[in-house]
Amino acid sequence: MSPLPQVLLDGLVAGGAYALMAAGMSLILGVVKVVNLSHGAFFTLGAYVAYAMADRGIGGPVAVPLAAAIAFAFGVFLGKSFINPARSHPFALPVGTLACALLFEQAAQLAWGPHPLAVDGGAPWPGPFGVVVRRWGAVAFLASAAILGALRILLVCRPGLPLKLVAEDEEIASSVGIDVEAVRYLTFGGACAMAAAAGALLAPAGAITPTMGRGPLVLSLIVVIVAGMDSVGATFLLSIALGVLGNACAYYLSPQWSYVALLCSVALLLSARPTGIVAVPGRRD
Amino acid sequence: MIRPAPLSSGWATQIRGGWLAAGIGLLLLFPLSYPDAYLLDVLTTGFLLAAFAASWDVVGGIAGQVTLGHALPFGAATYACALLTRLAGWPFPLAAAAAVLLATAAGAGVGQLASPLSGPFVAVLTLALAEAAHEIAAGHAFLSGPGGYAWGGEGGIPVVLPWGDAPPIASYYAALAFLCLSTWGILRFSRSESGLVLRAVAGSPLTAQASGVPIGRFRRLAFIVGSAFAGAAGAGYAAHVGRATAGDLSLELSFQAATFAAVGGRGTVVGPVVAALALHALFQGLSLPPAARVLLYAGTLLVTLRFFPGGVAGTAREVAARLRSRDRNRGGRRRRGGEAPPGGSA
Amino acid sequence: MTALLAATGIGKSFDGTRVLDGVTLSIAPGETVGLFGPNGSGKTTLANVLSGLLLPDEGSIAFEGRYVTRLPLDARYRLGMARTFQIPHPYPSLTVHEAVRVALAAAVPRPTGGGRDEGIEEILSRSGLFDQRFVPCASLSQGCLRRLEFARALACRPKLLILDELFSALSAADEEDLLALLRAANREGGAAYLLISHNRMLLSSTCRRILYLEEGRIARERTV
Repeated sequence: MSPLPQVLLDGLVAGGAYALMAAGMSLILGVVKVVNLSHGAFFTLGAYVAYAMADRGIGGPVAVPLAAAIAFAFGVFLGKSFINPARSHPFALPVGTLACALLFEQAAQLAWGPHPLAVDGGAPWPGPFGVVVRRWGAVAFLASAAILGALRILLVCRPGLPLKLVAEDEEIASSVGIDVEAVRYLTFGGACAMAAAAGALLAPAGAITPTMGRGPLVLSLIVVIVAGMDSVGATFLLSIALGVLGNACAYYLSPQWSYVALLCSVALLLSARPTGIVAVPGRRD
Repeated sequence: MIRPAPLSSGWATQIRGGWLAAGIGLLLLFPLSYPDAYLLDVLTTGFLLAAFAASWDVVGGIAGQVTLGHALPFGAATYACALLTRLAGWPFPLAAAAAVLLATAAGAGVGQLASPLSGPFVAVLTLALAEAAHEIAAGHAFLSGPGGYAWGGEGGIPVVLPWGDAPPIASYYAALAFLCLSTWGILRFSRSESGLVLRAVAGSPLTAQASGVPIGRFRRLAFIVGSAFAGAAGAGYAAHVGRATAGDLSLELSFQAATFAAVGGRGTVVGPVVAALALHALFQGLSLPPAARVLLYAGTLLVTLRFFPGGVAGTAREVAARLRSRDRNRGGRRRRGGEAPPGGSA
Repeated sequence: MTALLAATGIGKSFDGTRVLDGVTLSIAPGETVGLFGPNGSGKTTLANVLSGLLLPDEGSIAFEGRYVTRLPLDARYRLGMARTFQIPHPYPSLTVHEAVRVALAAAVPRPTGGGRDEGIEEILSRSGLFDQRFVPCASLSQGCLRRLEFARALACRPKLLILDELFSALSAADEEDLLALLRAANREGGAAYLLISHNRMLLSSTCRRILYLEEGRIARERTV
């Protein structure tokens, strides 16, 4: 029996959740105009929350919203107290968001230890061709797709108008009475909640470690660079493609190779199209 | 006619120069007080880390290309020392020279890729390259020596040193001498015309380009010079620790350098060196687990960035300018008609 | 006699909007040319293309008979084509003296004869910034910032100055001073200039020839 269908299916599930995270990242890049290097830490946070809840016998339906709520609170705090004041300083942002990520990684290591932890995902359903459909996997994929669909609708409807306006021109947005600062930190918090939800949904997929968020962070960076901010659909498809590729790479070679491949692709992408990337203002020119 | 005094003269510089000499004197005196061997070792490592922080400042401070992968040339040098002495059997000094060359070449490569980029994308690119190198070094499959056991992975690769176990006091003085020498070299570079042009490129790339500066070439130069000094610090570290480990390439190390620079004032060279010595001695002296130490570094950095988002150096410069203008207003009346010293302040 | 600058059929579009549509112009050595146009007519885009900040989609640019169409801003500066910006971007941590030194170091890598400092001081006194030479660029007044832009352009001994709204939003005294500097650079240094402005009066008093840019084309040309 070939393991290939199973590898592809698991990659599909992982890719769906990564799309959730990448969509959050591109929201931050588009609206707040910041490359958020702490996005992976929120993914890890979600996974640890799911672990802690599962440890107490509470399942995903509670853990995922809880993880999202915790991440939203932290995200709003971070956005309000750090990102907004430091936004115009080209040094403070990448280094500061990386500091947040390392801070969380080390805090997680102190709290839960450096050893990999696991969440029991429940018994899988047998499917055709010897493939097993993991119950949490189906839930994760559907939930991610649903949230992304909702985000897409939000972006074209009236309630999403402030987001689009702030993304396009902050001066116009503030002149029509939008509280730009509030839109920024709420977007930041919401995007962090999306990353944490992705982490909580994917918690049963593998080992939970303090640095587990780095791979998904790099994957989101690739997606954002290639797909840009506007298209939720492109983000979704590209994340799934990368999730499948990454999973295949991890299965046939090793998880480390999958991470190295992602890192090399982001380096290649940046050096291949240095000017084609979404412009990040701040200090112009 | 009253001519304003050049920036480099004045009380601020005189006091700073005096403090520096006093600090070096204290550090020279310290081992003679029969200190604890652990403390001596902490300071020796601190000197090498401070040299590394100064080399970060060439790229991230003077040239304004915020790199989060500066561990790459450092780790490349430690691994080159280990592999060349252990596998190829080269004598250590030759291996160290080759390691510095390798680090310089790595810097040239990274600089080539990073020079068209700006802002956060430099950080992402350098971070990705260094992380990739770290993963390859940390993986058990990649580097294994003859004799059936693996050398790679977290355990690292031992370095063959001609002097075996050097007395701690000798390592201490060697590292201190190295720190003074490389800080002096970086300061020379910073105050040269190339350093001035790099500051211009960092401050306003558009104006620099409109002044005829090929900004890509100068950014590459910053990566090359910074990586050469980082490689030298790496070779020194390999000689001190006697082992190249994956930690030499880690994101945490790159991040530490950025922290030292941010706390000490980016672009000042001496500031990051002092910050590195102070923070390293302080946090290492607390005898905490390594995770808590990185936590403290990250916390320190966030607090610094929160209150000095434009940099400690920028704020200090503003305060100094205000003090100086007050000073000059008083001195100007006294000096009326006198001639201020000519010449530039570069 | 060959033209100093000859641009032929320059076209440039942004997101499908045609901003420049086949602009052809030539400037003779030492000539003073004005470029007039309403807001949004493509004046600044034309300055960006001519000075090398932007690549044109079509057309070619020759400077002293040499094709420079794809040469970047800094290389054109070193050939003697300098430009100033409508909004100056001063170096935050450099003094006026150092800012001029950067430009001079790029234009004359190894000074012969008189040293670097003499060159800098000459430029500074010519542009009336000698007294402010040790002041940080960031704390200069708007008028002095324009002078600094001008001093920076003078450092390459320019044959052509492309001046984008050099005189907009200045006090009358500052404008007068800067005009005198510009005339001196033209008369004594032999620099031709292309002065971009939306002030017709100013152009007629400073330029021999005025080009009218409308919707991305040169609509008219008038000799004063």
